[in-house]
Amino acid sequence: MNKGLKLLTICISILFLQHCTSEDREIIVDNQPLSGDYANGIFVLNEGGYTNSNASVSFIDASGQVYNNVFFAINGRGLGDVAQSMGFNGDFAYLLVNNSNTIEVVNKYTFESVITIENNILNPRYITFVGDKGYITNWGDPADPTDDYVAVLNVETNTIINTIPVAEGPEAIVNNNGTIYVAHQGAYGYGNSISVIDTTSETVTKTIEVADVPGNMIIDNNSLYIICSGKASWTGDETSAGIYKINMVTNLVEDEITFATGVHPGFLKKANNSILYTLNGAIYNIAFNDFTLPATALFNTSTQNLEVLYGFNIINNKIYIADAKDYVSNGEVLIYNMQGEFQEGMDVKIIPNGFYNNN
Amino acid sequence: MYRLVSILLFLSHCAVFAQDAPVTELSEVNLKYIKLKDSVYTTTQTILSDSILKRNQSSLTSLLNFNSTIYLKENGLGMVSSPSFRGTTAQQTAVLWNGININSQTTGQTDFNTINTRGFDQVIVKSGGGSVVDGSNAIGGSIYLGNNLTYNEGFINDVFLKYGSFNTYGLDYKTSYSTKTKSFSLGFSKAGSDNDYEYPGTERVNLNGQFNNTNISATFGFKLNNENTINIYSNIYDGKRNFSLPTPNALKTKYYDFNTRSMLEWELKSDKIVSKTKVAYLTENYEYYPNINRDFNTYGKVGSLFVKYNLDYTLGRMLLSGGFNYNQNNGEGSDIQHKIRHLGSIVLGVKQKVNKWFLYEASVRQELNNIYESPFLYSAGLQAEIASFYSLKLNTSKNFRIPTYNDLYWEGLGNPDLKPELSYQGEISNVLYLPNTSLTLTGYYNTVENLLLWTPDVNGIWRPSNAENVNIYGFEALFKAHKKIGRHKLDVSATYAYTVSKNEETDKQLIYVPYHKLTTSLSYGYKKLSAYYQFINNGEVFTTTDNAPEHIVNSYMLANFGAEYNLGKGTNKYTIGAQVLNLWNETYESVLNRPAPGRNYSVYLNFNI
Repeated sequence: MNKGLKLLTICISILFLQHCTSEDREIIVDNQPLSGDYANGIFVLNEGGYTNSNASVSFIDASGQVYNNVFFAINGRGLGDVAQSMGFNGDFAYLLVNNSNTIEVVNKYTFESVITIENNILNPRYITFVGDKGYITNWGDPADPTDDYVAVLNVETNTIINTIPVAEGPEAIVNNNGTIYVAHQGAYGYGNSISVIDTTSETVTKTIEVADVPGNMIIDNNSLYIICSGKASWTGDETSAGIYKINMVTNLVEDEITFATGVHPGFLKKANNSILYTLNGAIYNIAFNDFTLPATALFNTSTQNLEVLYGFNIINNKIYIADAKDYVSNGEVLIYNMQGEFQEGMDVKIIPNGFYNNN
Repeated sequence: MYRLVSILLFLSHCAVFAQDAPVTELSEVNLKYIKLKDSVYTTTQTILSDSILKRNQSSLTSLLNFNSTIYLKENGLGMVSSPSFRGTTAQQTAVLWNGININSQTTGQTDFNTINTRGFDQVIVKSGGGSVVDGSNAIGGSIYLGNNLTYNEGFINDVFLKYGSFNTYGLDYKTSYSTKTKSFSLGFSKAGSDNDYEYPGTERVNLNGQFNNTNISATFGFKLNNENTINIYSNIYDGKRNFSLPTPNALKTKYYDFNTRSMLEWELKSDKIVSKTKVAYLTENYEYYPNINRDFNTYGKVGSLFVKYNLDYTLGRMLLSGGFNYNQNNGEGSDIQHKIRHLGSIVLGVKQKVNKWFLYEASVRQELNNIYESPFLYSAGLQAEIASFYSLKLNTSKNFRIPTYNDLYWEGLGNPDLKPELSYQGEISNVLYLPNTSLTLTGYYNTVENLLLWTPDVNGIWRPSNAENVNIYGFEALFKAHKKIGRHKLDVSATYAYTVSKNEETDKQLIYVPYHKLTTSLSYGYKKLSAYYQFINNGEVFTTTDNAPEHIVNSYMLANFGAEYNLGKGTNKYTIGAQVLNLWNETYESVLNRPAPGRNYSVYLNFNI
C-alpha cells in the first residue's frame, strides 16, 4: 500500500474512533414517594422556560421533604411548555400547559396521567369546577382581542363541550354556587372588567367594570374581592391600582380601595380574617372588617434576597412565596408563618409560579 | 478535555507523518515578503474560500459550526441562530459585509441563518477584539463576508444545484464578465426546505419549520485609470421562515426578513498612498407573525447610512493610516420609538516592519456621539518571526458594543442612560510552520464590563441595564496540513477551543458557552475524484445561570461525509457530488427542546464554464 493511502487509512480510522466516545448525561430524577403518596402535601408548579418545554411539578410532603419532577418521574415524559396553573376536581388534578395548548389530567394521588386534552384549548390560563364541568379561561390567539373564551370541559369524558366567548384576556376564574366570575386582566392588551357567567345557560349575564388589570379574586362571606394592578408607568398610560369588593347577590361594586399613583400591587390571597397582597416584594395585610390600605407591610422578603416574586399562596396557616430568580435558573420557595417570620426555603425547578394544596 | 487534546495531538501526529515528502509552502503570511497593507497582522484569521463554501451547507451557521472555533446555537435547523465567539454573547460577534457592519441595529446581533454563504466569494473568521477596525460588537471576533472583484477573466458562469432530504434545495447561479478595466458579476441564490424531519428517537416530526430565502448579489468594478477604481456592491436578502413548534399543539408563528445593502467605493492607489472612500446604505426589516393565519405582526426597521474614509500612507518601512467613520441610523418599530441617531469616529494607526523578523502595529479610535459615553479604543500588537518555523504574535485591545435600538428606545422600558459594553483583552499566539503543516496556538484573556442585559425586577418587569461583568479566558488551536503524493491529495484541518467565560459576581459559566469545541475536516483527492469528512464535537452547555446539571444540553458529535467527481475537461468543471449529513445518526440538539435532524442526504451538481 502506498504511503498516501496508509496515511488516509490512519486518519480515517481515528475519525471513526472518535464516534465511539459520545456519551450523554443521564436524566436526573429525584427519588419519589411511593405511588399514591402525593396526598397531604403541596404541589409547586414550575412553569419552565418559554419554548424550552421544561415545565415540571414539585411536591412538598407533610414533613417538608421536596420531590422534584413528579410528572416526569411517574409518566416518563415532560409536562410541556409553560405550565400556567393547576386545579383539582374529585380524584383528579388538571394541569394547564399554556404554550403547549394542552391540559394534562392526572390522578392527584398517584400523578399517573389519565389523558391529555388538546382540542379547543388555546392559551389556557386558569380552571374552576362546577358540578361535573370544568371552566377554563383561554386567551385564544393572544394577538387577537376578539377570540378569547371560556372552555367548558365535561369531566366525565374529558372533552370540551362548549366555548363561551368573552372579552379580551380572561385570567382568574372563581365559582360561587354555580355563578362564575372571570377577571379580564388582558392578554397583549389591558382589561378592566369582570364577566359574570351563569353556568346553567353558559352565557355572560353581566359585566362589572373595575380598575385596569384585574388579577386574583377571593370570596368571603358572599363578597368577591379582586385586586387590580393598574397599568404600570412603562405602558405610557399609567393608571391607579385598586382592590374592589363586589356584592355577589347584586353583582355591584360595594366598596373599593384605590392605591396611590405609581403603586402597583401584585397577588391577593385570603388569610383567616383578612386578605394579604403583595407589593414590590413585600406582603401587606387588610382585615375584612377594616378594608383600608395598611400603612406598613406585614413583612418584606428582601432579607431572603428574593429576586422576582412570581407565586404567592396561603396554605394551612403558612405563606408560600415563589422566587423565579432571573427566570433562567432553578427557583426557590420561601415559607413564612402568618406573622411574617421566615420559616424555611426550598429549592425547586425553573420559574415556580403556584402552590396547590392536595389534602 | 484530555480526550479531545489527545485526539488533536494524534491528528497533528498524523500530519507529521507527511514530513519526508517534497516541501510545499502553505500560503501563510511570511514577514519577509509582505508589503504592509491595511490589515491586522498580530491576531489570527482564517479564510474560508469558495471551495470550502461549496462543500458546506449554505447557512453561515453550518459553515462556521464545522469550520471554526465559534459555538453556534440554533433553534432547530434553519431557525434563529446565534454565535458565541470566544465565550462571548450573541451580540459580541461583528458581521461585516464588504467592510460594513451588518449586525442588526435593533437586536445587536446577526441571525446566522439569514446569511446565505453562496452569495459570497469568501468568508473570513477573525478571532479576538477588533473594534478599532470593525467598530461596535467586535469583541469575541468578526466575520467578514466578501465579494471579490476580478478582472480580465472574460465570461464565466457558475451553476450550483443541490437537492436533499426533507425537500431541501439550493439553486445558485453566478455570472461574471470582466475585461482589463471592467468587472461585473451577478449572483442569484435560492435555498429552502420543508424541514419536516423526524426527531430521532421520538415519534415527533419538526412541524411548521419550512423556510426559504433568496439572495441576490451584484458587483461592478471600473478601473478609471492606473490609480482610480470605482466599485459598486449590492446585496438583497429576502427570507421567509415559519418557526418550528416547541410542542406539537403550539400556535404556529412565522418570521420575515428583508435586508438590502448597497455600497459605492472609490479607491485611489499610488506609490505611497491608498485612499478608500466608502458610502453605503443598508436597510433591515423584520416582521414577526405570532399566528401564521393572521395579518397581525410586530416589526422593526432601520435604515443606516455609512460613510467611511481611510488613507494609508507608506513612509519607508512604516504604514501610517488615518480615517473617519460616520454612521446614521433611522429606525422604528411596533414597540420601538422612531429615532435617528448619528455616530462618528476617527481612527489613527501605524504599522512598521522594523526588520525582516519584527513587525509592530498600533491604532486608536475615538468614538464621537451624544447618545452614550464615547469610548476611546485601541489595539496594539507585535509579530516576531523568531525562527523560520516559529513566529510569535502579541495583541492587546480595548473594544466596545453600543446599546441597540431595543435597549435604548423600547417603548416604556428602554433605558436611554445605558453605557456601551467595554472589553479589554490580550492574546498570545504561537504559529508553527512545518513543511506542509501549520499550527497556531493561542491563549487569550478578555474582561467584559457593563454587559447589556435585560433583567427582571421584583415584579417581573424586564428592563435593560449594564448588568454584569464577565471574565473570559481560553485556549485555541488551529491546525492545517496538506500533502500531495503523486495524484493523491490530502488536506487536514482541525480547530479546538477551550473556553471559560464566567460571570464575575457568581463565578458561573455563561449559558450556551461550551468548555470544549473540536472541529476536524479531512479531504482526499485522487485525480478527479475527491472525498471529504467533517467532524465536530461540541461540549455540553449550561442553559441556566446557576449551572444546574439537570438542565444541561448534552455534548454532541456530528459528522458529514461527501464525495464528488469532476467530469469536466480543461478549465471547465462539471462536478457531481453527494453528501451524507449527520453520518452517525447522532441524536442531538444545540438549544434546549430543539432537536436536530438525524442522518440525511443530499446530491449536488456544479457547472463552471
